[in-house]
Amino acid sequence: MSEQERANRRDFLKLAAAGAPVAAVAAVTSTTEAEAAVDQSREGLRDTEMTRKYYETARF
Amino acid sequence: MTLAEKTAEFEIAAEELLRADLYDMLGALLARPPTPELLAMVKGLSGDASSLGQGISAMARLASQLKPVAIEAEFNTLFIGLTRGELLPYASYYMTGFLHEKPLAVLRTEMARLQIERAPNVFEPEDNIASLCEMMAGLIRGRFGRIADLGTQRDFFSAHVAPWAGHFFSDLEAAKASVFFAPVGTIGKAFMEIEREAFRMGV
Repeated sequence: MSEQERANRRDFLKLAAAGAPVAAVAAVTSTTEAEAAVDQSREGLRDTEMTRKYYETARF
Repeated sequence: MTLAEKTAEFEIAAEELLRADLYDMLGALLARPPTPELLAMVKGLSGDASSLGQGISAMARLASQLKPVAIEAEFNTLFIGLTRGELLPYASYYMTGFLHEKPLAVLRTEMARLQIERAPNVFEPEDNIASLCEMMAGLIRGRFGRIADLGTQRDFFSAHVAPWAGHFFSDLEAAKASVFFAPVGTIGKAFMEIEREAFRMGV
């Protein structure tokens, strides 16, 4: 890619996409969900991502 | 955000990160019924007078007007349904009329080459629109080991996204069940045009 082409692309994208900045939303996608909050200290059936998924899918 | 992504931010141009942000947002909106956190973020967005910006504003407005349960129900009607949803957001379906066809096989080969793997807790075919958006964002940000150059991005886009994503987003915009997802379709359609135009300028 030539310097000119690079500049064209940069200008075009800035013009076309910069009117809609969505960085805040994008940040959400990289959070790892409930998995982080697993409590391992309890006895009995552990509250893990897998059991939660089970409860979720078992509900009609 | 991982450390690798943090460092990558200094290496990737701001306008390329805008693309990754848009892909990430579309991926998040289309992968599962939007979570309350995601909707809260969406509410805060605003756009300019372009069709992309208009779509963003409309989506933000709807996110604050509609109840989260209504949006979840809409997502289910559109993509899950009792037997099937109103739309089938898969490359294979749009490109051949059938699910699990050759486009999916080609995509899987390409994913292996780019060292991308489906998450172990996902059972959906990889050629769905949300996954493809995530893959595009990942290539731009370097989530799959290294930042993909524009040539790699363009080849992936041309083979797996460009042939059908625009049609899908048009369908989403016009779907019977679409309320909140109508502007999502508008955003996607406008963005696919931008991508196509930008890649045409050379890599």
